[in-house]
Amino acid sequence: MEPKVAVLSGFGINCEIETMAVFEMAGALVERVHVNRLVRGEASLSDYQIMAIPGGFSFGDHLGSGRLLGNRLRFGLREQVREFVSSGKPVIGICNGFQVLVKMGLLPGDDEVSLTQTASLALNDSGRYENRWVTLEFDPDSPCIWTTGLERIRVPVRHGEGKFVTDNAKLMDSWADSGQLVARYVDPNTTYPSSGDDTLPYPISPNQSWRNVAGVCDPSGLVFGLMPHPEANHSTWLGPSWTREDTAHGEGEGMGIFHNAVRHVLQD
Amino acid sequence: MPTETNIRLFEVTTKDLDGLPDARGESVRSMLKVDHGIDVLSVRVILGYQVRSDVSDIEAESLIYDLFADPVIEVGSMSSRMLESFSNPPEAAIQIGFKPGVTDNSGQAGLDGLLTLFPNQSSAIVATSTTYAFWGVEAGISPNDLASILHNPLIERAAVAGREDCSKGSWPLLEFPEMPPVTFQEPATVDLEVSDEELITISEQGLLALNIAEMRAIQAHYRDPTVRSAREAMSLPSDRPTDAELECLAQTWSEHCSHKIFAARIRHTDKVTGEDSTIDSLFKTHIMQPTLDIQGDVDWLLSIFHDNSGVISWNDDWSVCIKAETHNSPSALDPYGGAITGIVGVNRDILGTGLGARPIANTDVFCFGPPDYSGTIPPGLFHPSRVFRGVHSGVRSGGNESGIPTVNGAIVFDERYIGKPLVFCGTVGIMPRLLADGRESHVKTPQPGDIVYMVGGRVGSDGIHGATFSSLELTEESPSSAVQIGDPITQKKMIDMILEARDAGLIQVITDNGAGGLSSSVGEMAELTGGAILDLGAVPLKQAGLSSWEILVSESQERMTVGIRPEDCADFESLAALHEVEATAVGSFTDSGAFVVRHGETPVANLPINFLFDGCPQLILESEWQPPVHLPVETPDLDDSEMGATLGRLLARPNVASKEWWVRSYDHEVIAQSVIKPFVGVNRDAPGDAAVIAPLQGGIQGLVVSNGIAPRYSDIDAYAMAAASVDEALRNAVCVGVDLDLISGLDNFCWPDPIESAKTPDGKYKLAQLVRANRALDDVCRAYRLPCISGKDSMKNDSMLGGEKISVPPTLLFSLLGNHHDVRKAVSSDFKKPGDAIFLIGQTHQELGASELSYMLRDDGAGGIGGTVPEIDPERNMTAYRALTAAMSRELVASAHDCSDGGLAVALAECCFGSDSGAKLDITPIWSDCDHLDTWGALFGESLGRILVSTSPDDRKAFEKSMEGITCHYIGDVSSDDGISFSRHGDVILSASMRELRESWKGTLHGEGA
Repeated sequence: MEPKVAVLSGFGINCEIETMAVFEMAGALVERVHVNRLVRGEASLSDYQIMAIPGGFSFGDHLGSGRLLGNRLRFGLREQVREFVSSGKPVIGICNGFQVLVKMGLLPGDDEVSLTQTASLALNDSGRYENRWVTLEFDPDSPCIWTTGLERIRVPVRHGEGKFVTDNAKLMDSWADSGQLVARYVDPNTTYPSSGDDTLPYPISPNQSWRNVAGVCDPSGLVFGLMPHPEANHSTWLGPSWTREDTAHGEGEGMGIFHNAVRHVLQD
Repeated sequence: MPTETNIRLFEVTTKDLDGLPDARGESVRSMLKVDHGIDVLSVRVILGYQVRSDVSDIEAESLIYDLFADPVIEVGSMSSRMLESFSNPPEAAIQIGFKPGVTDNSGQAGLDGLLTLFPNQSSAIVATSTTYAFWGVEAGISPNDLASILHNPLIERAAVAGREDCSKGSWPLLEFPEMPPVTFQEPATVDLEVSDEELITISEQGLLALNIAEMRAIQAHYRDPTVRSAREAMSLPSDRPTDAELECLAQTWSEHCSHKIFAARIRHTDKVTGEDSTIDSLFKTHIMQPTLDIQGDVDWLLSIFHDNSGVISWNDDWSVCIKAETHNSPSALDPYGGAITGIVGVNRDILGTGLGARPIANTDVFCFGPPDYSGTIPPGLFHPSRVFRGVHSGVRSGGNESGIPTVNGAIVFDERYIGKPLVFCGTVGIMPRLLADGRESHVKTPQPGDIVYMVGGRVGSDGIHGATFSSLELTEESPSSAVQIGDPITQKKMIDMILEARDAGLIQVITDNGAGGLSSSVGEMAELTGGAILDLGAVPLKQAGLSSWEILVSESQERMTVGIRPEDCADFESLAALHEVEATAVGSFTDSGAFVVRHGETPVANLPINFLFDGCPQLILESEWQPPVHLPVETPDLDDSEMGATLGRLLARPNVASKEWWVRSYDHEVIAQSVIKPFVGVNRDAPGDAAVIAPLQGGIQGLVVSNGIAPRYSDIDAYAMAAASVDEALRNAVCVGVDLDLISGLDNFCWPDPIESAKTPDGKYKLAQLVRANRALDDVCRAYRLPCISGKDSMKNDSMLGGEKISVPPTLLFSLLGNHHDVRKAVSSDFKKPGDAIFLIGQTHQELGASELSYMLRDDGAGGIGGTVPEIDPERNMTAYRALTAAMSRELVASAHDCSDGGLAVALAECCFGSDSGAKLDITPIWSDCDHLDTWGALFGESLGRILVSTSPDDRKAFEKSMEGITCHYIGDVSSDDGISFSRHGDVILSASMRELRESWKGTLHGEGA
């Protein structure tokens, strides 16, 4: 049976249409679920096998991107979310959804799912929002179930606050050791694998994220979040410079991530 | 345990961590340098939240890191000043906060966050501020100079501390923005049995913008015995209007809402041809009639002119709609708030179309004064660079936060836009052809008895008189209440909720609350059923005490008015509650023939529907065409490398220069549908032509969105200006391969006041320009089979400040929405490979009049802009466009880019930017189009209908064959080196290095300084 995906909506989330579309393209059943329906008990996360928090501008990014929606989830859905994650179900947060997961403490997270914030996404060094295409490289040794077998993809970033940082430098090392720094910006003119810790120049790294981190997973590899938008590259004709390339048209480079999650649930 | 209500100040700033700059402070430092030439060593920014609540001290303590400050990257404080924490006291510190009553979106979000933590604090208020601390400010710049750059006194307050205060720790502190109490004014009446002079005084003092004929028509209405007896029966004063009635009439009859100049009877004379004729409504004659004629031949024009946007059928399952609005006057007063309000406002036009459409794409076109303008700015106006930055920032918030991609746009610069910037905001929408209940979604279906709901934001004193204000020129007295700041998140929640209500079949009728507020929205929908009754006492207010007429006409943002069947009200209200959207029943539709307004039990207004909508007398105007005289263009003698340098200078002109730095900060890809993006090419920095989107996820059918604007041609002839605008929009669409059998247009006129008066002695000429522009629109749209499906006009784009009048050049923005059969065959503007053959489609004539080159040479001090302005041959163009799009559908075309500002030479450079290539051209063939062409005309002339195309060597033959019978000159090849050259008969007439051209092109409008 197809896995059921809850795509959260409301309060300024605005990428739910394409986030629903990519899971459907990957063969899942998808429902848009307003956060308040979960809070009020009209819907329950336990009825779903995958949860996605799409991109957007929840609460207008006021008081920090993802902060207020993160608080709604942290205070209003605490036990539902912990149960979902502890029961081994995949979660993805994209862009604003990633910011929400980081600020509510689910990412990079800990084995206890304690929901303690340990990292953040600061303003880009440029000080401004930008929409531009980047190349991501994935850590082949990561436990992340979303990126299994993927090497590089091209995806757009569309954010003003995407610089991954922490105030505890030791944590960066431990996250790196455990394969949690799973997605990094990379120079497309290098050969795979080549991601490194030295900050790449702007705009290869669009935000000057520490160690070029674009996305991280939790210790279990089930919860994954990233700033760029893989769902925006679901078809070849949405690619960054497809009119210059002689490729057969079809699925875009971003789809592998969603196939992985659906496959994971089906194999489980 | 009850606690005391008190005010606490929470402050937040970036934590000192290696590798974590204070990016906000750095942005301010860079803006001061780029826009104002002010050197500052460093700037720190502190965000402040003043919270009035009755939370306890312990609870308040928890707010620091649970709500306001990010515990990982920020430090927070409560009731101690962050300014104390810097090891070196700053040289200046400035705190900026909103004036009381101005929309504070961050404050609202802060309150929402507070309620997540402490749900019982619903009466709390959060007010935000920003504190800037400066070190190393260059000599001669005072703290007050900095403050005046950082805040807009119309809507904001500033507290300033200089070096001495800072050294003593005497920090700037704004008081809590307390709203002064408003006293409810009982409805008043206005005696109209007075002289004509006094009638005009009533209009002027009340900011009603009604002329004497209109005031007399209102006077006559209240003399009608049947009107009087009907009013008596309702306990309204029988012989005079209430203040609310007069306001409601003024809104409905305003130029902004009823387009009186376009509806006027015009006597038009032409000094050249001797024509002396009468035009009964430019709109009906030249805009509506051509569309109606085309509607007779096609089946896809679903809803034109009468709704909030025009609707066309896109395929069997979906229809699409488009609308553009201007938000000029508010953007002059507060560029940020004006622009954001313009965008979220036009989004609501889409949401209010039919039974509700989903906004899926924005286009934004701005006209500003030159950003490098060094002349004096009249008092009361902002420098163009500040207008530019503010508007840009408003678009970023309005578009990005709403989740609607900004797919296309343009920025035009001319000194005459210093008086009033033009801010055109356009939106495309999509809706299912049929709803689940079988209703066609583009048709509104209200019935008497349906309940009127106001949905979204509340009504406040902000935005009173926006419609009438925009119908007046800008003066020192322009009211601050006309300025608002849009709230994209409140609106986004409302859009989500409304579209769910639509799909559930709950909506009978819907429109937005824009100009004129409830008086317009309920009034307009009352026209559909024949009446409505509205209770102002039920309307939720931001602030108690508003008078009846204020509630009726306030334009407070983010509101829709919706009609719901009584049996569906419970479902509608529960959907609203789920989305945390306020929806309040405020009246009902009737068939009584009148728009009736009460405030609780008090009768406030009773306006017969036919008088309200048809009672405004037609304007009678005169126009007279006499072509203007200009000095001719004077071109110097230059060698090929000097011509190359001239091209470099043209590319650096703000009208031509790269806008990438600015446009990159608009989200153009949300909704995952962007096929041809604003920037294309190998480095994704070359300008795209039209936008192509594929709005159905995974689908290959597309929509093409483009714009055309050429205001400077009005300096010679507004006919040429309008023709060029339409052609540019279509040409851009052709460049990406639009389906020419399904194209629709939007006309958006922004004119200086064209009514002759003491203040406007050249009114007849300006009106003649309007007549000529309309005739061009008529001629060209008919020839292109390009029906206008909606449009807008803004007719008072003058400013009178410090005794100086500045009028904008007559401007038509033409926007196009078309179909694309298969987006996988869309073409981009960048050259693809060295060796590809380059063709110029279309004829080149000696047409340098009012060209970008002519303005550049004139600005250099030589000659004028006179000469032949580009003339249009729409039939010839259309034949070429059809041949080219047919070749594209056979995939024979590698690239296509339109020739506009700066002509062929600029177009070639832009195609090369996109491929990191050079090109070698021999343009001798184009002299066959025109025997008196000179080198300048060939390289830089802006003849219409021209597209620069490339094909691969493999496709070249088939391409040439497909273009047989069309002017299509082979002029050279793409090369792999860094140089471009143009030659004629073997002589090189222009040569340049692409690297240098790129530097010129990218350097001018770089927001951080290149």
